[in-house]
Amino acid sequence: MNHPASTSMSTSSAQLRPQPWYRRMLSDGTTIIVAILAVLTVIFAATQADALSGSVLNDILNNSLPLALAAAGGTLVVLTRGFDLSVAGVVSLTNVLVAVYGGDGPWGALQGAAIAIAAGAAVGAINGYLVAYWNLQSIALTLASMIVCSGVTLLILDAPGGNVSDFMTYTLTDRIGGVVPAALVIAVVAYALWRILRRTDWGVGLYATGADEAAATLAGVPVKRVKLISYVLAGVCYGLAGFMLTAQTSTGTPNAGDPFLLLVFAAIALGGTSFAGGRGGVAGSMLGALTLTLLQKVLFSTGVSSFYTGIFQGVVMIAAVVVAVVFARIGSRGEALA
Amino acid sequence: MTQTPMTGGRPADTRDNAAAGGLFSRMDRDVRTAIALFVISFVLIAASRLLGPNFGSLAQMKAILVISSFLMVVAFGQQMVILLGGLDLSVASMMTLGGVLAFKWVGGSDMAVVWGVPAILLITAALGAVSGIGVSLVKIPPFIMTLAMGVILYGVTLGFTQGTPTGQPSAALSTLFANTAFGVPILYLMVAGTAACCFLQMRTGFGRKIYALGTNPTAAYVAALPVHRLTIAAYAISGASAGLAGILMLGYVRGVTLTLGQSYLLPSVAAVVIGGTSIVGGRGIYLGAAAGAVLLTTLSTIVASLGIAQGWRTIVYGAVIFVALVLLRDDLATLLKRGGSSRKKQP
Amino acid sequence: MADALAPSSAPASSRAGATKILDMSGIAKSYGATVAVRRVSFDIEPGEIHALLGENGAGKSTVVKVLSGIVAPDTGTLTLDGQPYAPATPMAARAAGVSTAFQELSLLPNLSVAENLMLPRQAKGAAGLVSVSQSRERAAAMLAEYGLGHIHPGVQVHALSLADKQRIEIMRAVARKPRLLVLDEPTAALSDPQWLFDILERITAAGTGVLYISHRLSEVRRLCRRGTVLRNGESIETVSLAGVEDAQIFKLMVGSAARDSHAARSSAPKDTAPEALAVTKLAGGTVQDISLRVGKGEIVGVAALEGQGQRDLFRMLAGLTHASAGEIRIDGKPVRLSNPADAAKAGIGFVPEERKTEGIFLGLQTDTNMTLPLLGKLSRFGVIDRTRETAAVLEEAGRVDMASRYLKLRIGALSGGNQQKALIGRVLMSGARHLVLFDPTRGVDVGTKAVIYDVIRQFVAQGGSALVYSTELAELIHLVDRCVVVYRGKVAGVAAGDDLTEPRLVALAAGHGA
Repeated sequence: MNHPASTSMSTSSAQLRPQPWYRRMLSDGTTIIVAILAVLTVIFAATQADALSGSVLNDILNNSLPLALAAAGGTLVVLTRGFDLSVAGVVSLTNVLVAVYGGDGPWGALQGAAIAIAAGAAVGAINGYLVAYWNLQSIALTLASMIVCSGVTLLILDAPGGNVSDFMTYTLTDRIGGVVPAALVIAVVAYALWRILRRTDWGVGLYATGADEAAATLAGVPVKRVKLISYVLAGVCYGLAGFMLTAQTSTGTPNAGDPFLLLVFAAIALGGTSFAGGRGGVAGSMLGALTLTLLQKVLFSTGVSSFYTGIFQGVVMIAAVVVAVVFARIGSRGEALA
Repeated sequence: MTQTPMTGGRPADTRDNAAAGGLFSRMDRDVRTAIALFVISFVLIAASRLLGPNFGSLAQMKAILVISSFLMVVAFGQQMVILLGGLDLSVASMMTLGGVLAFKWVGGSDMAVVWGVPAILLITAALGAVSGIGVSLVKIPPFIMTLAMGVILYGVTLGFTQGTPTGQPSAALSTLFANTAFGVPILYLMVAGTAACCFLQMRTGFGRKIYALGTNPTAAYVAALPVHRLTIAAYAISGASAGLAGILMLGYVRGVTLTLGQSYLLPSVAAVVIGGTSIVGGRGIYLGAAAGAVLLTTLSTIVASLGIAQGWRTIVYGAVIFVALVLLRDDLATLLKRGGSSRKKQP
Repeated sequence: MADALAPSSAPASSRAGATKILDMSGIAKSYGATVAVRRVSFDIEPGEIHALLGENGAGKSTVVKVLSGIVAPDTGTLTLDGQPYAPATPMAARAAGVSTAFQELSLLPNLSVAENLMLPRQAKGAAGLVSVSQSRERAAAMLAEYGLGHIHPGVQVHALSLADKQRIEIMRAVARKPRLLVLDEPTAALSDPQWLFDILERITAAGTGVLYISHRLSEVRRLCRRGTVLRNGESIETVSLAGVEDAQIFKLMVGSAARDSHAARSSAPKDTAPEALAVTKLAGGTVQDISLRVGKGEIVGVAALEGQGQRDLFRMLAGLTHASAGEIRIDGKPVRLSNPADAAKAGIGFVPEERKTEGIFLGLQTDTNMTLPLLGKLSRFGVIDRTRETAAVLEEAGRVDMASRYLKLRIGALSGGNQQKALIGRVLMSGARHLVLFDPTRGVDVGTKAVIYDVIRQFVAQGGSALVYSTELAELIHLVDRCVVVYRGKVAGVAAGDDLTEPRLVALAAGHGA
């Protein structure tokens, strides 16, 4: 509004401060998934006799680790507003690669892990390059790469097989020192790596890119490189997921990754990451994976016929998202200007 | 959105002027894409002559078109939802449900077709509408809503069939796929259906409003368009399309399995996207999706008969989709000129 | 407070023969078949604030993009401080010493103020990892240095007001200590531009050159000594602003005598007209208690400083915001407007402030945009009757002075002014009887403004009513019969007749005087 510069309107009445931690937690999707997880655990403990025993917990953690790792990778791409459907193909591919080419003992396992990571990173690099530098739509492109990956998988192994070392089958799925599940250690290490990466320029750039690519470019964020890196890291996560899947199932199966496609995105949604980009994180997605796995166990232990498992999974998914939306709205109201 | 600068008073891109009488200035481009895809399909079929005397014949072309009818039907509903910027991941379960119900209710007598088919379409439309309500009123992201719906429906189907669907094939439905004196009836229906679908999209108020809603949801709300009704209708249409595909499947296969819809989910999205529809909505015509469906079916049929290891077949299938994507890029021309990358917003 | 910045007769640090900050010569840029600029030449001396004037679509935004390294020109030369300047990326432009504050703000809403300011390289602490505390410290220091200490660096940008966001956008550009500062409509969201003027005085004293783009001639005259007028992608003339009248500038911008947008209203205020639209003790959002009345055939204006409740008032009338108390009456009958459909049914025609995000459908054709609300009446059994549609659109296009050749183009290809005309045309086509317009001439060139004023006047002359909010007081004064001033969510006063002057409105808007 044009007027003589006699009145100063530059100071607002009160200084706006960042949200207090409890407000932030409400709108942060992680809180909701933790709550759901808690409820499920209670139900589980109530319906299964040895629910809280060490071996059962170890079992659950082992079962959910591959999905958790894959969901962590998928989250990185979703944060950039993309969709990575290739997770199913890469998990199958690396599962089979490790089963066929992995060696014995700890060094063999390391060798297998290296192969899995390399394969995942390679696929991720191709995906990332084409999406970021050639501007192809991520859903369509990763769909194509998923199909190609599953084809390559079939070439390596067209029926369940492979030779998985005892080290992988027993030691990697066991508890360290008889107490701490190896799966838990791996998950924690993966999460710790994410926290470190989050505190790099790439990490900040990741959230910037997802929120508004044009603004991020103007601010100097190397958007293409940020996206490429996120797809590569996602591929690495999928590779690790496939590796752990091999340890878990002790075999290589050509279509082992198929169920991962939908489950990974379900876990990501449950964990509170927004598909519009720029909001969410890896912790929620990993917890979402744990929740989905636990849900299956709970349904089984409460005697629900396996026919109906799907219904419950679907309902829980919807409920989680609705609750997340409601809480996010409550949380953000505290930030609005008077 | 891309900003095309305007010189004061002068019309901008002269290419847009060529679309006289067309609804969207890009329709020329979409029609061109669709025709290109049809041509590629026919070329592929013709080229398959090299594989043997049974290939590349008119009979094979007809057979491929017949098989692609299912994907074409599913792709119509999927495209309607994608035009709104959404996604329907429940089509596989919806299709299976449609087939299973048809097996139960429609098989055996011709009269059953008259009440059975509309009933099933109504049911699948209603289920689709539930997804639509979740997406538009409860604001659940379409990916999650339809994913959950698909999983739930599969559980329900599994539940009431207890793992084994019962029923009988339907002679009436099977006639659609039989070789009659006038050709295969389903082919005529496909052509008529495609024309009707394109008409719905481009020449009716409903179609226009869908495009508007997909282009700019906020503006659609401010302009007092019936946003919720449109969204629910789109998802209902998607549900009914998938259900219809399942019913048709009964006619073709004369039996159903619980996995009958499984292999149609991702291809339905692929067909729509290859056909030139933008995944964020607002742009694309059904002719393109139909052409995409035909191309994908042609591809998988020919590749399957190449007599090579299944792994290679899959790789070829994926590679062709990839090539189609690259060739259909909007900014391909600029890329070729500059050899660099352009600044487009990534969906 | 010090008086407004007066243009110095000679820039503080210029000496005879000093190297120009910027020398642009013969710049041209086309996008495919579209020519954005064909030949733009001007220069900026050290310490000078140089205005860039022109209608929408004249090429100003392209010039900004070229200078900011977003696009590369096809031909022409650019020198910065005497050296060739050809940035390949925005970062390169910044490194060379050119900093831009964009009209469409380039801040990331989901990041904090500190993170935004530090982009692309955050402050690092131990082990080379990002240090949140260091980033915030540095950000706080920056904010304090530029008088923005009231903004906490840890706040997420989406929580800030539009004015604060614009201030940070400007501050970020200035803080890079550029040789050339490019400001694109920097005061659009600022209620008090003195903050900006002070900064400009500081940096120009140090020799920085400024390219200032604004529609607001009074500001431009206060700040700039020279200005370059663009028209149709060409730089027409660089003028010395002191020696040139507004009318002359308009002539240069439009190419012919501009229609006098300040034509006086012909009729006297209509106090006795039947009530068309009225609100009583309305409250909701930032509105505390507003009552006003628009009579049939009246144009009532709303004036306010930024964020005083005017936006929520209009959005309640449009059915976009919930009214928590009070009454809205249309044609004397109370109505409930819980959504835009209700408002449309009540005969309200709403034109929103952000046409790009809330008004038009960029990917669709112009005629499609315009006939959208009318499709029901233009179809039979759901099928659109093309002949009737074409006839209706042509008639409406004539009413808003829109060339018919634009109708089949994608609306995204039109200039802002034409887009706004199409949007208003759409509202008129829907059969609205009460226009509710929020800043209808924002970002619109002079020629189109005149057309819009005419359209509004014709509309009320035929028995409609209009409620118009504008940030330009001069515009309101010459358009409306009465002007309601809103302050802190309440009506501060109403000015009409002789009382309807800029000083009076300003005083009321700032909360002074009743």
